[in-house]
Amino acid sequence: MSRRKPQWASAAVLVVLALVLWGYIVGPMVSTFLQSLGGNGGGLAEYLSFFDFKNGTQGESMLGSIVISFLSVITSGITGAFLAVLLRRWDFPFRRVCQVLVLVPIALPPLMGVQAFVLLYGIGGTFPQLLAELFHTKRAAFALDGFSGVLLVHTLTMYPYFYLTVAAALEQADDSLEEAAYSLGASRFQTWTRVLLPMLTPAMVAGALLTFMSSMSSYTAPLLFHVDKVMTQQIVIAKLNGQMGLASVVSVTLGIISIIFLVLLRRYEQRTRYATQSKGGARKRRRVSSPLWKAVIFVVASVSTIFLILPIVMIFILAFSVNGSWRTSALPSRYTTQNFAGLFQNVQFFDAIRNSLEMSAIAVVGAILVGLAAAYVITRKRFRGKTAIDIAMMLPWALPGTVVAINLITAFATPSVFAFGRVLVGTFAIVPLAYFVRFTPLVFRSTTASLSQLDESIEEAARSLGATWWYTFRIVVLPLLYRGIVGGALLVFVNGIGEFVASILLYTPQYRPLSIAINDELYYANYGSAAALGVIQVLLVLAVVIAMRHIEGDSITALGERGNAIPR
Amino acid sequence: MTELKLEALTKTFPRSGKVVDAIDLQIRQSEFFTLLGPSGCGKSTTLRMIAGFEEPSSGRILFDGVDVTNDPPNRRDIGFVFQNYALFPHLSVFRNVAFGLQVRKIPAAETGERVSAALKEVQLNGLESARVDQLSGGQQQRVALARALVIRPRMLLLDEPLSNLDAKLREETRAALRALHNTTRVTTIYVTHDQAEAMAMSDRIAVLHKGRIHQLGTPEEIYERPATRFVADFIGRNNVVEATVGPASQGSAVLRFENGRELSIRPEQKAPGLELIEGASVSVCIRAESLRLTDSAGLFSGTVRDVEYSGSMRSCTVETDAGELEIEVPSLMARPASGQAVTLTVDSAAIHVVASV
Repeated sequence: MSRRKPQWASAAVLVVLALVLWGYIVGPMVSTFLQSLGGNGGGLAEYLSFFDFKNGTQGESMLGSIVISFLSVITSGITGAFLAVLLRRWDFPFRRVCQVLVLVPIALPPLMGVQAFVLLYGIGGTFPQLLAELFHTKRAAFALDGFSGVLLVHTLTMYPYFYLTVAAALEQADDSLEEAAYSLGASRFQTWTRVLLPMLTPAMVAGALLTFMSSMSSYTAPLLFHVDKVMTQQIVIAKLNGQMGLASVVSVTLGIISIIFLVLLRRYEQRTRYATQSKGGARKRRRVSSPLWKAVIFVVASVSTIFLILPIVMIFILAFSVNGSWRTSALPSRYTTQNFAGLFQNVQFFDAIRNSLEMSAIAVVGAILVGLAAAYVITRKRFRGKTAIDIAMMLPWALPGTVVAINLITAFATPSVFAFGRVLVGTFAIVPLAYFVRFTPLVFRSTTASLSQLDESIEEAARSLGATWWYTFRIVVLPLLYRGIVGGALLVFVNGIGEFVASILLYTPQYRPLSIAINDELYYANYGSAAALGVIQVLLVLAVVIAMRHIEGDSITALGERGNAIPR
Repeated sequence: MTELKLEALTKTFPRSGKVVDAIDLQIRQSEFFTLLGPSGCGKSTTLRMIAGFEEPSSGRILFDGVDVTNDPPNRRDIGFVFQNYALFPHLSVFRNVAFGLQVRKIPAAETGERVSAALKEVQLNGLESARVDQLSGGQQQRVALARALVIRPRMLLLDEPLSNLDAKLREETRAALRALHNTTRVTTIYVTHDQAEAMAMSDRIAVLHKGRIHQLGTPEEIYERPATRFVADFIGRNNVVEATVGPASQGSAVLRFENGRELSIRPEQKAPGLELIEGASVSVCIRAESLRLTDSAGLFSGTVRDVEYSGSMRSCTVETDAGELEIEVPSLMARPASGQAVTLTVDSAAIHVVASV
């Protein structure tokens, strides 16, 4: 409530905010759209080719993206819901350990994580080789490639969307509901179908929308499993062929699809979840009495947990392997600690780490300033165009990283007012700018959440006691928002350190971020060095998880719900 | 102490329209004044405009004759106690209370003294270093009060401060607030929807409905001589019965009820400004406690439908020839039973006539 004198101040903040949103988010989208009409390979006719599913590459790739996304929703949904029920409703030995480990895939770095899947299950990978050795066959009985590989990666990285939401819903649904159903004469089966499953529906729908969005945006998995008939790959292929017009056409189409899903998701989130009115009371877990059942549940739970954390284990094993020591065995044959020493000795690696830290730090500063200002005006002010600002803030969260990169290229390949009259493409600045654009919604979201929980009367109390707006903001509001801001900022940082999708389109060789260094090592099959860099990313994520545990209560859940919600 | 004047104060919200509609009001120095009304009547919005949290759409607010309409809240020197207390969750009890003094750059020594005194006044001394979320609801309420009073405000504004307390604590705090007002003599504006609370504490009450003041007066005036049908319904357990005006002269009149019975009233037994014209229909307010059971011929006759026993009193719902009536009889006097046929009489001096809506 700052009126009268500070009116011009909030007006100024609004103007700056509108300029930033236009300059770096909405404007670049418009320039991509213009490029799609006039650029090389573009034109209105190209848009129509999306509806030719049989012969045109564009139609095929759109169909491919949709099919993969649809299947990913089903497999992730089954996996996530199954794990949630297994780990939250029954008690068995090591249940708590499993509960923590099952969320470890959240710490998978985008590029190296997918590569770990390739090395585990892909052609010549650990499992195919193990099977070949086991059955003494020359050729592996199976090896994942193409669609099946992409689907596996999607399933095992996106199940947390379902696991977390379903687990939360199960945790909320207190026993009295079930007991009420039983007391009213419902059988166990009826209780499930009539009460428990309907209560899980909102959680499942939200999870499905998130998974679909993430799968549509997925770039790294199709890249490493050699699937090029998806939209993200087509964008990059067209760009590498110099057909910016065509790349823009695909970007615009993919962007529109993403925005539709963002709108659907927000509509759905606004419908209230089923909140139970019970006043706590510890949940009883089903004690499994039959030893046979106990054994079955234990085995199923531990096997699936191990399966889930294998990629992370793989990264750690590889990090200690000698580069090039892995040819025809299930695992690398020679081990060393040289890869880690190399991180500090090899200037290239050291530079990459430093670049990523710098780029992420710049993005963090920008994200805090813009995210906080936007969150404050949206939750505290009444003004025209508020919804527009709200949507523009959340847009980049829905857009695939590939599309964000294309937007920035079309906007900043020529001198721009928003780059102070300079060309940004080919400079250091474009990468941190991309991180800022992609990840500011994380700060915006977490700060908005904190702010809307903070009753406005607290600010009014300070004002009535004689404090100015600025004093109130510093002494009362900021300390109370601290968790939301720092939580969001840490997420921006972690995501920046791992970012690959936009980086690959925007980086200049002079300033390689970490993911690009990993990519280059992988190109030369230097798995040891690449994995060592990947370990750095994993450790940074874990450090943030621990930091967030101090700040927020349920850190892993928070990280999962927001951090992982950035499409890879 | 400050005198407050509101001139044609109006607040219009885009969605809900005129929430406060041209209110004129003068609140005297050291008065304990209550804005009373149902939720949505505009009482809180009025209070928030006085505090400076809401900007009036039109009209003026004057403190001691000085226009403060455009002053921000931090320039008004008011103490405000919120319904949810709005304590700063990250600060200790001491720092919550000291906040207003620190903002005013009062020296640390004096701040310490004044905070201690304020906490003592609300019987919270010793809890200086406690975190506010460790306190009970009643204690939080008293911290909020101390925080508002320690700055020695020109006016104390209270927005339903008792509504989050349980019944017993509410009555204790009611007395404590009144006692505090007697010592500080700070002009106090109290907002509530609870008429019993308002009657017990206030020097004067304004009854608000749909953004307008329906009646302004002492608790006695409002209880005994409601100005409008709304006030009659809102305050106390009132029976409102329709009647027709019979022969009238010089303000006195005869009222004819629907059952044909008649009753005559004196000029002062009607709302100010109401003209009693023969043949017009009016609403007659009859307090539940002014109706009595009688053995002789009475005003209304009917059957007891329900009896509610509350210790000193029995409240009965009686289905009569003039509609359903609530009566309250001292428990020791009579024992009406459900289904019993009864005759009711009324002390004709206790009834009050308002305009029929």
